[in-house]
Amino acid sequence: MPRLRILVLDDEPIVCKRLKPAFQKAGYEVETFTDSASALTRMAETSFDVVITDLKMEGADGFQVVERAHELLPGARIVVITGFATLDTAKESFRKGAFDFVAKPFKLGGIIDCVRRIEAEMKTQEHAKETPHEPPHF
Amino acid sequence: MGIIAHIADMLASWRSDRGVTFALLFKKFKSILVRNNRILELMADMGDKLGGEYIFDRKYIEDACASLDDQVFKLISDMSVLTQRKNTALFLAFERIQHQLQEEIAGRRNVQGGRLALPFSDIGIEAEDEVGGKISQLGDLSNRLHLRTPDGFAITTAAFFTFMSRNGLLEMAENGIAAWDGSEQALHELADQMQESIMDSPLPWGMVAQIDAMVGVLSANKGGPLRLALRSSAWGEDGDSSFAGQYDTQLNVPPDRVVEAYKAVIASTYSIEAWRYRLDRGYQENEVAMAVGCQLMAESQISGVLFTCTQNLDKGCESMVVSATWGGGAAVVSGETATDTIFLSRTPPYHALTRAIAHKARRLVPATRGDLVWEDVPQELQDIPCLTDAQLEQLARVGMSLERYYKRPQDVEWTFDACGELLILQSRPLRTGDGGGQDAPVQDATSKAEVIFSGKGLVAQRGVAVGKVVLVDHNTDLDQFPEGGILVSKFTSPRYARVMRRACGIITDVGSPTGHMATIAREQRVPALVNTEDATSLLRNGDEITLDATENVVYRGRIVELDRFERTEADMFEESYEYRLLRRLLKRIAPLNLVDPHSEDFKPQACRTYHDITRYIHEKAVEALVDLSQRHKALHHAPAHRLVDGPPLGLTVIDAGGGVNCPPQAASMTMDQLASVPLLAFLEGLTVAGMWDTAPVPVDLGSFMSSFTRTFTASTAGANTVVRNLAVVLREYMNVNMRLGYHYNTIDAYISDQINDNYVYFRFLGGVTELVRRSRRARFVAEVLDRFDFRVEVHGDLVVGRIKKLSETRMLLRMRMLGGLVGYARQLDARMSSDAKVAEHVRAFMEAIAAIAPASHNDRTGGGHAPTAHSGA
Repeated sequence: MPRLRILVLDDEPIVCKRLKPAFQKAGYEVETFTDSASALTRMAETSFDVVITDLKMEGADGFQVVERAHELLPGARIVVITGFATLDTAKESFRKGAFDFVAKPFKLGGIIDCVRRIEAEMKTQEHAKETPHEPPHF
Repeated sequence: MGIIAHIADMLASWRSDRGVTFALLFKKFKSILVRNNRILELMADMGDKLGGEYIFDRKYIEDACASLDDQVFKLISDMSVLTQRKNTALFLAFERIQHQLQEEIAGRRNVQGGRLALPFSDIGIEAEDEVGGKISQLGDLSNRLHLRTPDGFAITTAAFFTFMSRNGLLEMAENGIAAWDGSEQALHELADQMQESIMDSPLPWGMVAQIDAMVGVLSANKGGPLRLALRSSAWGEDGDSSFAGQYDTQLNVPPDRVVEAYKAVIASTYSIEAWRYRLDRGYQENEVAMAVGCQLMAESQISGVLFTCTQNLDKGCESMVVSATWGGGAAVVSGETATDTIFLSRTPPYHALTRAIAHKARRLVPATRGDLVWEDVPQELQDIPCLTDAQLEQLARVGMSLERYYKRPQDVEWTFDACGELLILQSRPLRTGDGGGQDAPVQDATSKAEVIFSGKGLVAQRGVAVGKVVLVDHNTDLDQFPEGGILVSKFTSPRYARVMRRACGIITDVGSPTGHMATIAREQRVPALVNTEDATSLLRNGDEITLDATENVVYRGRIVELDRFERTEADMFEESYEYRLLRRLLKRIAPLNLVDPHSEDFKPQACRTYHDITRYIHEKAVEALVDLSQRHKALHHAPAHRLVDGPPLGLTVIDAGGGVNCPPQAASMTMDQLASVPLLAFLEGLTVAGMWDTAPVPVDLGSFMSSFTRTFTASTAGANTVVRNLAVVLREYMNVNMRLGYHYNTIDAYISDQINDNYVYFRFLGGVTELVRRSRRARFVAEVLDRFDFRVEVHGDLVVGRIKKLSETRMLLRMRMLGGLVGYARQLDARMSSDAKVAEHVRAFMEAIAAIAPASHNDRTGGGHAPTAHSGA
């Protein structure tokens, strides 16, 4: 399986600066963005397996990025990271297509584990998809 | 539900003369305790975030500060209700600190009105605003890494603003650049005019006086004629290659020329080159601030530069390289003289790989009347190596510790003085030119490596360490700890602070990332993994391992790719804006200056941090409640009684209903008149033989200085002195606040036959003994609580234990145990002379207490078990 491709979107540069090398070290390909417009443009251009995005409460967009990402990359797993972690924002995120929801501040090890779980699950699914095509052995 | 309302109800019947119910006042008192805890937890949390394990952003910092603001404000408000005073001084202290925090968060550098000159001994990396990048870093080298640097003082950025604005110079620069037509010629003229005006302007009198005073101190310390080096240290000039060589340095300056030399360095801020450099990079005029470091001139015998990591083309590997020459080092940096060049291995004992010895015909020496001059090197020295093998090894060791701390290859300027002492003049990141695109090799290397263990433990400081395992216990002579070893130990201990400069990593079986050792590891940036449970049994002395304290993995062997990945990461998290901001904020939040309640400085005006305010209020709240009861006694039939027998606690008992069997007007009472079930059990535990040792504990010499104030208090707190401790009781309830010596105990308990209402809350805060002993005592208390099934949290000196919903019998057993524990721990810090004592005392205590309070599972063996620390989040 090729290396997992991750897109990180957070308007605070520190989050991108910290996540990028950590994911690279773990063996993933990473692109980071600090504004949603260019992140969405990039998602329209090319595919990603995991999208990690901040949830902005200021301005109108809020869940729009999650929604758009889900439309653009229906196969990608979307992980929401937010400093506005409430039950409501979590529910709404899942409704808009998020796969996981992480409250800030979070542990570096935790988010890497989260991506590893996604990777493992994707492998299993891929395997499951392939199995029916194989001729049965008796 | 019921219980708190019930207690409040019982208390409500008692009214003070001003119509405020005791219930309300007591509620405020309890609220103060809760807030006090919350504030300590918030502070510990913020400290935790500095370890690099968490991803946090600006919003977290703002939210955390806002929560603290809120809690501290309400704490003072509660205090005002309790004391029925305005507490203006406390509110002012709060406003002052809050304002400083807001200014920091808003990014406004708070230097106006600050100190004009600062000795190097007071300077750390956080002082960048005050003393500029270069000097704050030098302060770090000497005060945190304990490397020798030339002594001196800084003339601050506040002094710069004072000097410049008094003489209308800032205005002149701003107007000049605003009116500039963009031509090179005009910039030249402007630069010349600025520099001339600076040299012609007088220094304000106050500045000259402070500079003279600082020079006087240096002169007195040194003895003999004084010569100084004045170096620029501007905002943003952080050695990260920016501004390198843009500003002036004045060498070998005699005391009477310091003011002139200072002005010359300031003038260099407006040289055409420096100005052009700033303009090209979009700097605004209001971002210019120049501090000046005044250092003792090193009497250099040998000087040079060390690069800690470079490609050695001969050997095809990474190595260190040293360039060295006789005399002063200025010529090595500028490349004006021939130097010996030695390549050294990067692993201890740092053998020389290749040496090229140059013909060194001349050297730089100080001239009699300032500046430096060239002179001929004596014939016999010209062709011999100027550094011995021992000196090379010493340099290499220092270089590697700098690289570990800054996590980057370093470019180090150094000198050996006339006494043969190694002095570090500057250390800055070495631009190696490679880096990036290395992710694949890291992945390859780690996937091939043998994993000794993974997924265990908690990260106290993030990072990677490659080295040999050094197993350490309380018998280990830490002075023998080898350079570059990885310390592996059962327990965490602040004692390890001593070896942190030599250790490149730390792994422990137990311990918490909020403990003292973790704090020190963060300060020294030593990668540390704690609470791994069994690392000491999985690792053997001398094993070569790679610790990845980001993913909690330990690999067998040296995985240099992982180490290199760390070194070439684009940004070091410790140096990022958010970390610097959080560190600066914590400096105004966490340090405790109000240590001694008997000192004259124990007052609101002296509160410099939120911790100070919190500590002050806690102390005064207990006093206030005692006072309150005594005042009432004079006015009313008030149920406050002094307990005259039993353990000598100086306990005042306030009865709020059914807690005592004596007449309400009685000023004193005896043990047999006490009816409060939890308090009886607690006092019973305290009086058990051996638990209340009234004989003074022998204080060994080591702890004498640090605990003498406490001992002093304990010894004067005899029969005549009023030790005021307080218990508020009902039949099933007690709230006890006690200061014994210098540590606080708060116990809040409700015990009845209603299992679901039962709870005990125990809180223990350490005294003024040295850090190491305090933390041993905290560990002792935590360990004991854990054995009795308390949920235990440890934040530094603070131990909090909670337990609830046990039967009355079990709860009373625990109250007796707590009585014993309080008595036993009373003077324990003076006895905690080694780590081994913790386990020893736990054993001794468990044996002594077994008679009245057998632990539910005291079959557990000591050593392998420790309480889990929860962060306060």
